[in-house]
Amino acid sequence: MRPTWVAGAAMSRFGRLETTGREAAAAVALAALDRAGIEPGKVELTVVANAFGIAERQAHVGPLLNTALGIPQVPSFTVESACSSSSAALHEAFVHVAGGFQDVVLVVGFEKLSHLGTLAATSYFAMGADYPFESANGATFPGLYATIADAHARKYGTSSEELGAVAIKNHANGARNPHAHFQKEISLATYLASPVVASPLRLYDCCPFSDGAAAVVVAAAEAVPHPSAEPAVIRASARAGDVGDIHDRESMTSLAATQTAARAAFRQAHLEPREVQFLEVHDCFTIAELVALEDLGFFPPGSAGKATREGVTARDGTLPVNSSGGLKAKGHPVSATGAAQVVEVFEQMNGLAGSRQVPHAEVALTHNVGATGSSCSVHLFSRR
Amino acid sequence: MESKRTGHSIEEYRRGYAEEHRLRGFRSGCGFVTATWGLLCPRCGARDLEEQPLSGRGRVVASTVQTVPAEGFVNDAPYAYVVVELEEGGRITGWIPGIRQPMEIPAGARVHWVSSPRAGVQFEVDYSPREEPPRSGGATPP
Repeated sequence: MRPTWVAGAAMSRFGRLETTGREAAAAVALAALDRAGIEPGKVELTVVANAFGIAERQAHVGPLLNTALGIPQVPSFTVESACSSSSAALHEAFVHVAGGFQDVVLVVGFEKLSHLGTLAATSYFAMGADYPFESANGATFPGLYATIADAHARKYGTSSEELGAVAIKNHANGARNPHAHFQKEISLATYLASPVVASPLRLYDCCPFSDGAAAVVVAAAEAVPHPSAEPAVIRASARAGDVGDIHDRESMTSLAATQTAARAAFRQAHLEPREVQFLEVHDCFTIAELVALEDLGFFPPGSAGKATREGVTARDGTLPVNSSGGLKAKGHPVSATGAAQVVEVFEQMNGLAGSRQVPHAEVALTHNVGATGSSCSVHLFSRR
Repeated sequence: MESKRTGHSIEEYRRGYAEEHRLRGFRSGCGFVTATWGLLCPRCGARDLEEQPLSGRGRVVASTVQTVPAEGFVNDAPYAYVVVELEEGGRITGWIPGIRQPMEIPAGARVHWVSSPRAGVQFEVDYSPREEPPRSGGATPP
């Protein structure tokens, strides 16, 4: 494999898009290329993620994006892996570039669901679960993660205060991120007063339904002799899968796909968890962040909640987690999320993160989960 | 190699609990039991999945009370969504109407499946006198 970079990355503000998803996606794609200093004409492949494009009555959107970017002749395809769609797209781009098939590949992830009502949006999210064996029995997406939270609490005593610490931290980070859906801090009292959605998960345990778009330019190092920005070197790109239904897995308190992908990524990068300086993890629900930190190898099982309450994972802690605000505060436009995590890494490594800048931004990890853990991507990055 | 599996389809599974008063499952050679449809065992890869009638009796190992309902359950909220470890092994999911608070389903609560024309696999908390009362801390989550 040859050295492969994230040469540029950009995102829209997450929240509610006034334009179509397609327009937002083309705009961030051009912004990412501009940050990389790469003309659209250099792109050799576009990999798109737009799991719920059907909500906008649009499929096969890659050629439309390429046409808008003035490169209609460039091949494209769409990757679907539920909430991990754009990290799966990034993995495909990495394989193509590192393998020598293309020099420059554009990754674009986007979603627009806000024009649907809450019930319809909830139903779309639930499509990532196993309909006849989970959803048809009454499970919502928060409900499925709530069973993980309940099992985790029964086994380790995970408390509301520990879940709340994740929400409070990520809202504090989101308040400093101009891209974030929610840019306000919350208190423990606010968290505890929020209504229960699916016990033990409250409203403030849940990420919002967001619209948004994010793009990443993946390029061979040798194809960018004079980069416009400090590239994030892709040290590892690993994916893993697991049994689709939570209840059929051996463990309900950890995600085996995260553990498998993390092991593969650290092996690929010749890195260890202690060398990672900041990370973006998949916190679609607060419990998901705690489980992720345990499965990735940063904390022993059952101890991430305590570490979060102690401030270890705060922006100024020893291991900043979700400096962007995470899915929880930055928002979760399904297929934009994985790419947006990489935007945060790129901005941190380029010193562009403003008041949310972490003290050490040399080595980073991103973790993006599809559905309830049946798909997972882990990427490792470092500065040159 | 041809599968020895002679099992049911997803539609037969649904018709089983919804119309035929039977809860259908599979048992793999490794002992794994599930109601979830598949051709090979997700644990050991074995092809020889056998039909395993499910009793629908077991203990709750994880649960949630949903105040925001799923599609098809709009008029039922709040209700419980539960993961049940069956007496014969394996876990299945279902819902329990009329549950308003998590404390109504303590750890390890015994439940039984009730055949219902309503959507989904429906359980009731088992208050039968022959059953032991649920003990605090009951079943250990997987």
